[in-house]
Amino acid sequence: MAGSSGLSRRAVLRGGAGVALGAASLGVLPLFGTPDRKQDPATCTTRDLSDSERRLVVSNWPGYMDEDDDGYVSTLTEFQRRTGIDVSYTADINDNLEFFAKVVNQLGACESSKRDLFMLTDWMAARMIQVGWIQPLDPAKVPNLHENLIDSLRGVGWDPDRTYSAPWQSGLTGIAYNKAKVKEVRSFEELLSRPDLKGRVTLLTEMRDTMGLTLLAQGDDPEEFTEDQWSNAIDRIRKARADGQIRAFTGNDYIQDLAAGNVLACEAWSGDVAAAEDENLVFVAPEEGQMIWSDNMLVPNLSTHQAHAEEWINYYYEPEVAAKLAAWVWYICPVKGAQEAMEKVDPSLVDNPLIFPTAESLATTHAFMALEEFQVRAYEKDYADVTGG
Amino acid sequence: MRRGRFTGYWLMLPAALWLGVFFVIPFYSLLATSLYDPEGSVLTGYDVTWHVANFADALREHADELWRSLWYAGVATVICAVLGYVLAYAIAFKAGRWRNVMLVLVIAPFFTSFLVRTLSWKLILADDGFVVDFLQTLHLMGEDDRLLATPVAVIAGLVYNFLPFMVLPLYASLEKIDVRLIEAAGDLYASPARGFWKVTLPLSMPGLVAGTLLTFIPSAGDYINAQLLGSTNQRMVGNVIQDLFTNTGDYATAGALSVTLMVIIVAMVVLYIRKAGTEELL
Amino acid sequence: MSLAADRTDTTARPAEGPRDLRLAALTKEFATFTAVRSLDLTVPAGTFFALLGPSGCGKTTTLRMVAGLETPTSGTIHLGDRDITWEKPYRRPVNTVFQNYALFPHLDIHENVAFGLRRRGVKDVDQQVQEMLELVELESQARKKPPQMSGGQQQRVALARALINRPEVLLLDEPLGALDLKLRRSMQIEIKRIQEEVGLTFVHVTHDQEEAMTMADTIAVMNGGVIEQMGSPTELYENPQTTFVANFLGQSNLIAGTVASAEGDVVRVDMHGTQVSIPVDRAHTRTGAGWVGIRPEKVLVAPAGEPIDAPGNHMTGGVVTDVSFVGVSTQYLVRMPWGQELMAFEQNTGRRKILRHGAEVDVSWRPEFAFLLPADQDVRAGAFEED
Repeated sequence: MAGSSGLSRRAVLRGGAGVALGAASLGVLPLFGTPDRKQDPATCTTRDLSDSERRLVVSNWPGYMDEDDDGYVSTLTEFQRRTGIDVSYTADINDNLEFFAKVVNQLGACESSKRDLFMLTDWMAARMIQVGWIQPLDPAKVPNLHENLIDSLRGVGWDPDRTYSAPWQSGLTGIAYNKAKVKEVRSFEELLSRPDLKGRVTLLTEMRDTMGLTLLAQGDDPEEFTEDQWSNAIDRIRKARADGQIRAFTGNDYIQDLAAGNVLACEAWSGDVAAAEDENLVFVAPEEGQMIWSDNMLVPNLSTHQAHAEEWINYYYEPEVAAKLAAWVWYICPVKGAQEAMEKVDPSLVDNPLIFPTAESLATTHAFMALEEFQVRAYEKDYADVTGG
Repeated sequence: MRRGRFTGYWLMLPAALWLGVFFVIPFYSLLATSLYDPEGSVLTGYDVTWHVANFADALREHADELWRSLWYAGVATVICAVLGYVLAYAIAFKAGRWRNVMLVLVIAPFFTSFLVRTLSWKLILADDGFVVDFLQTLHLMGEDDRLLATPVAVIAGLVYNFLPFMVLPLYASLEKIDVRLIEAAGDLYASPARGFWKVTLPLSMPGLVAGTLLTFIPSAGDYINAQLLGSTNQRMVGNVIQDLFTNTGDYATAGALSVTLMVIIVAMVVLYIRKAGTEELL
Repeated sequence: MSLAADRTDTTARPAEGPRDLRLAALTKEFATFTAVRSLDLTVPAGTFFALLGPSGCGKTTTLRMVAGLETPTSGTIHLGDRDITWEKPYRRPVNTVFQNYALFPHLDIHENVAFGLRRRGVKDVDQQVQEMLELVELESQARKKPPQMSGGQQQRVALARALINRPEVLLLDEPLGALDLKLRRSMQIEIKRIQEEVGLTFVHVTHDQEEAMTMADTIAVMNGGVIEQMGSPTELYENPQTTFVANFLGQSNLIAGTVASAEGDVVRVDMHGTQVSIPVDRAHTRTGAGWVGIRPEKVLVAPAGEPIDAPGNHMTGGVVTDVSFVGVSTQYLVRMPWGQELMAFEQNTGRRKILRHGAEVDVSWRPEFAFLLPADQDVRAGAFEED
C-alpha cells in the first residue's frame, strides 16, 4: 500500500515539476528580447585624449593600404613620421554585416568599440549615422576633405554635407563579360534579356547594386524612386529569373565563374575585374548608367582620439598622398588633384579609367537612395523574395 | 559508501554546465526569437510579444525551401547510405592491412575547411570542366546542359561533405560484427546475398541509423552547398534563415523558421528511430 | 521426436540416405605454414567421430574445409560419391556448431533455430523448431535473445540450430570449450545421447582427450597437420602407436630398452637389465632401441619382497618418492634403480595400507599391457601440450 501511494505521489510530483519547468521556461523567454540600439552622438561622447595620447586605432578592409617596401615609404608610415601619431592599423573588416554584428552590442549600448576610425560602405555608413553611432567631423579640421572631394561624391542623400563621413576609396558597379566567349555586352538590359546569355548570367546579392542598375535600366533614378518604380524593377528581375536568364545571385565569388566560362556575363564591381588581371574579362559601364559606391571613413561614438582621426582624414585628402595610395590599391580615387599628382607617382596610371574615371563616365554614375530602417526591411525582403523564392 | 553517493552528480557537473551555457540558453534564445514582434528591427530592438503568427508567416512564405531542404537532405542521405555502406564494408572486411590507411583517407577531407572543399566542387562540376565535358562526349548531357547550379550539384556537394559521417559509424558497427556469424549464415544455407540481408545488415543497423541521422540532420540545415553549387532555384531553408538573419534582419521569421525546422527534424528522427527499432539510441 | 521422418528438402539431403565422409590427400597451406598435410580419412556414416589434438594441429582447419569455410590447397572431400571439395558452404549438406556458438544476436532463439530451414524455404518451420527445442529442452526459452541465456543454454541452441537441418555431417568445433567442467561433462553425455537418437554423422573437434574418449566411436589424433593414429578410444588408449598418442591420450611410463629378440608372437626387450616381453601386435618396432610403454594404472606396486599379483616383468629396488591420495585411487612416483621415476595408480581397494614416502618397493605389470615404440620418437611428445 505504501508502495503504490508512493508511486502515484511520485507521478504527481513529476507531472507538477514538468508543468512548473514549462511555465518557468515561458517566463524567461521575454528576457531574450533585444534593446533599442539608437544612440545620440551629442550625448554619447567622451573626453578626447588626443593631446596626451599620440595614438590612433584604425580598422579597414584587407588590401586597402599601400605597404613599405625597399625604399618605398607607405602613406601610413609617412603619416606616422609626419605627425608622431602611433597608428594601430588592422585589416579586420571583411563584410559590412559581419562588422556590424561585431560592434552592434557596444555602439548600440553606448559603449566604446575600441576603435577611432573605420571604413564602411555607403549603405552601412548611412545606417550607422542614422542610428547615431557616428560622431560628426569638425569641418575646420578636415579642410582638405571639403576642398578636394570629387563632385560626384558630394551631396549624397544620407550625408549631404559630408558631416559624418569621408570616402576612402570608391568603386563602380556595372557589367563584365568574358570577351573570349561572347560578343560585347553593352547594357544591363542585355544581361536580362539577350538569348545567347540565357542561364549564363549572374547578378549580385547586394540589393542596392542590382536594384540600382535595374531601376536605371527601367529609366528610373535610383537616388529617388517611387514605390511603383520599385515594384516594376522587382518584377523585371523576377521575370528574368523565371525565364531562366539568371543563373545565380552571388556575393564576391562571381569572378571565378566568369573567368572559367561558367558565366558569360554578369553584374560586377570594377575593382574585382581589375584585380582578376585576366585580359578576357572586360568591365563595362552599362549604357543606362552605373552605380557608384564608396567605403567611408567614420569616427564612432566614444572614440578617444577623434582629433587624430580628423588629422588622418585631412592627410589622405592631400592629392599627393591620395595619388600614392591609388597607384597601389587601383580603386577610384575620391580626391581632386590626385590625377595631376599621379604624374609624379606613376605616369602610366594617369589615364587609367578604373582609378580616374572620365568626367563623362562619372556623369553616368548614380548612388542609391538613403533608406529608413523600415524601408531597408521592406526592400531587402522584396529583394530576398526575388533572389530566393 | 555514503561518501560516493553524489560522486556521479559531481562528475556530470561540467557537462551539465556546458550544455546549460551552450545549448539550453541558445535554445531559449532561439525560441524567444521566434516569438518576437515582427515589427521590431535589429536597430530599434525586438520584444517577445508571443507573436505565434510568425510560424504561419514563415511556413507560408518559405514552405518551398523547407520542403526542398528535406527532399535534398533525404536524397543525399540515401546516396550516402549506399556509397557509405559499400565503403565501410570494404574497409571493415576487405581492406586488410590497408584498413587504417583507408580510414585516414575517409577523415582526410576534414583536414581542409568545409568551404574550400565545397569550392573545389565548383571546379569539378564547372560547365567547361572535365566532368561535364566527359558526359557531353558520351552524349549523356546535351551541349547546353550543365551540372553547376542544378539540384545534382547541390546534392553531390551534400553527399561529399557528409559521407564521412555515414562511413564512420557504419564502419564502427560493421567492424564489431563477428565474422563467424557471417560464416554461420553461410553454413546454414544462406547465400552470400541472403546472409548479408539476414545477418550483416541487421547487425549493422545501429551504425546505419546513427550514420543516417548524422548525415540527414546537418544536410537539412546546410546552406553552404546550396549557396556555392546551386542557383536561386536550389535555395534551401538554411539559406533563407541566413538571409533573414544577416541581410533582411527579420529575426522573427528567421527564428520561427529555425524552430520549425528543428521541430520537423526532431519529429522525423523520433519516428525513424521507432521504425528502425533502435530505440536504445535515444 | 520425428527427426528421421521429414526428408522433403532436397539441398541438404540425398535420397540414398547417409553416406561416408571421405577426405583424400587433403592439404591446406597458409602463407607461412602448412596446417594440414595430405590427410586421408574416412568417417563412416552415422558414427561419432572425434578429431583430437593440441591447438594448432590442423584439426579446426580440417573441419572448416569440410564445412566449406576454407578452400583446400589440394586434395578432395567426398560425401559418398559426391565431390563437395569446391561446393559453396551454403550448398553443402553439412552444418556446424561453432566454437562460442556464433548465435545471431539480433534473432530470438526460435528464429536462430529456424534460420537454416527458412533459407531453404522449408514449410512447417514452427512445428519443427518446436520439436527441436524440445529435444534440447529449451522449449520455454523460444522468445529469448541469445545474450539473455547462459553458456550451456546457448550451446544447446547452437546444437539445435545445426541439427534441425538434418545434415549428413554435423561438425562440432570445440563446442564445449567455453563451459565450466561440470556443465561440460553433462553436455558431453547430452550430445552423445542426441547423436545416438538422430543417428547422424558427427565430427567433433576437441583438444580434450577425455571429452573425445567419452563421446566418440572413433578418434583420430592429429599432430602437426597429420593424423598420428586413428581408432576406437580403447584401441588408442591401450595400444598407442606413437609416443605422442601415448602421452597425449592419458599418461604413459616410457622406459628406454633394447630389443633382444623377436620370435613368434612375443618381442623381448632388455630394459635396464630386466627382460620384459611384449606381444608382437603391441610392438611397433622389432629391432634396436625402443620405448617400453606402460600405463600408470597397469603398474603394480608392492612392498619389497612381497608377492605381486602379476606374472613376469618383475623389477626390484624401487623407492616411493611421492604419494598423492586422490580418494578413489592413490598415485605413486617410484624411483627405479636406473634413476627414472615411474607413475603408478592404485585403486584404494583397502586390500593393503597406502605405501609411505621412502618405502622400498617392487614393481611389476602384466606383459600384455605393455607396448613398444620406436626409440627415434620424442619421449616427451604430446606430454605437456594438453590445455
